[in-house]
Amino acid sequence: MTQEEKALRFAAYSKKTHVLGRLACGITLVLLVGAPFLMGSLLGAMPDLRAFGKGFLAIGIVWLVSCIVEYLVYTPMLGAGGGYLAFITGNLINMKIPCAVNARDIVGTKTGTAENEIISTLSIAASSLVTILVLALGVLLLIPLQPVLQSEALRPAFDNVVPALFGAMAYKYYRKNMKIAVWPLVVMSVLFILVPSLTGSTSFMILPSGALAIGIAWLYYRKRRREAAA
Amino acid sequence: MSILSQLNSPGMYLICGGIIAFVCAVCVVFMVRAWRAGLAIGMDATKMRRAVTASATFAVLPSVGILLGVIALSGSLGTPLSWLRLSVIGALHYETQVAEAAAEAVGLPGLSASAMTPTAFTTIALLMGVCIMWGMVLSILFNRKYTSRLSTPREGKAAGGGFGDTAMTAMFIGLVSAYIGSYVGSFVSGNGRFTFSGSLLPLAVVAVAALAMAGFIWLAEKKNAAWVDSFSVAGSMIVAMAAAVLLRGI
Repeated sequence: MTQEEKALRFAAYSKKTHVLGRLACGITLVLLVGAPFLMGSLLGAMPDLRAFGKGFLAIGIVWLVSCIVEYLVYTPMLGAGGGYLAFITGNLINMKIPCAVNARDIVGTKTGTAENEIISTLSIAASSLVTILVLALGVLLLIPLQPVLQSEALRPAFDNVVPALFGAMAYKYYRKNMKIAVWPLVVMSVLFILVPSLTGSTSFMILPSGALAIGIAWLYYRKRRREAAA
Repeated sequence: MSILSQLNSPGMYLICGGIIAFVCAVCVVFMVRAWRAGLAIGMDATKMRRAVTASATFAVLPSVGILLGVIALSGSLGTPLSWLRLSVIGALHYETQVAEAAAEAVGLPGLSASAMTPTAFTTIALLMGVCIMWGMVLSILFNRKYTSRLSTPREGKAAGGGFGDTAMTAMFIGLVSAYIGSYVGSFVSGNGRFTFSGSLLPLAVVAVAALAMAGFIWLAEKKNAAWVDSFSVAGSMIVAMAAAVLLRGI
């Protein structure tokens, strides 16, 4: 297959992905916003829109900013298809992003390529389906499972899912990029030590941490290019 | 009928289950299309299968963690809404915080079934949905332009070459560093600056997971066991979570 043929086939796929992605997001939005009203008709009590407005001003603005940051930062990692799916299914930081990065790493695709777009979509779809299945089974077995999952003995394990995930991923990515990793790690540790209240806003701190890592990576990249040119 | 029985009624399951079924169908459609497109552009089916297997195994443990979020919320919001919230756009770290804040915003003393009323419930449900929906709104409005700009090769550079790939890895390193930094901060200054009396457990779990991952990588690279790659993250997490049970209290 020639590169032109491949590009044409991928362009056709990509175009339809955007149509389907927008449609799926639009329908999900309507369902999500409509569900409380549907539930309200079942319960005989519609949402109190004045209380909703007050609540949105109190907490919604913070999450609006967080959503914008997440969109700008994560979309390049996820690609088009993966992006639509990830923003529909959620759990980005604790699952979808590490999952897509891990799949990309295992297969060895490069950012911005058609292969990366395909692998990212497959990865997000597979992980989302597993989550839906586990939650559905869990809800079905909620009563018999509850004592096991909520037992005091297992609590530390489930309280530490995210550290377990990031510990594994840290080794995988730090070992080949130690010169880049050391700076954000040290700067973030110092910041969190000096301003302990920041631990409540860790998701916001990803942005400066990521910007610092990208800045340092850029310096090394430029240095390598200069050396190669010399 | 108690409020929890109303919130756990078959009608509520039908509404939430229907939305989740729709999202499930979307995932299947995207997966099948991506698989077919991969084959059409000449990708190796074995590689795609590895990506799916690795992602599926990767997702199991975090999904159990998310299930715990469903269980935690189900005591006050009922099982169907908690199930929906954590299956569609929801996020483990977000839901409990927003549910609590939303309960206060609608005038409840806190998030509990004893104080819950049907109006408070539907208002909280609407607030939880609207607060986190912006990623989807932005995707509808800008995804096409944003992703095409990211994948358009600049003059003289092929897609996939240049700095883009390094930048993505660096961004991920930044993400992981922010979280590990927060564990260091919690231990050193969690109970007052430089008191060193916070929990050491998250840091110990990070260290054990990293060690386990080192073991998996050694097996894959030195013992030619490439197949362990697909299970290395899930395996490292199991080891680290088991260590958390043994090391609790530190």
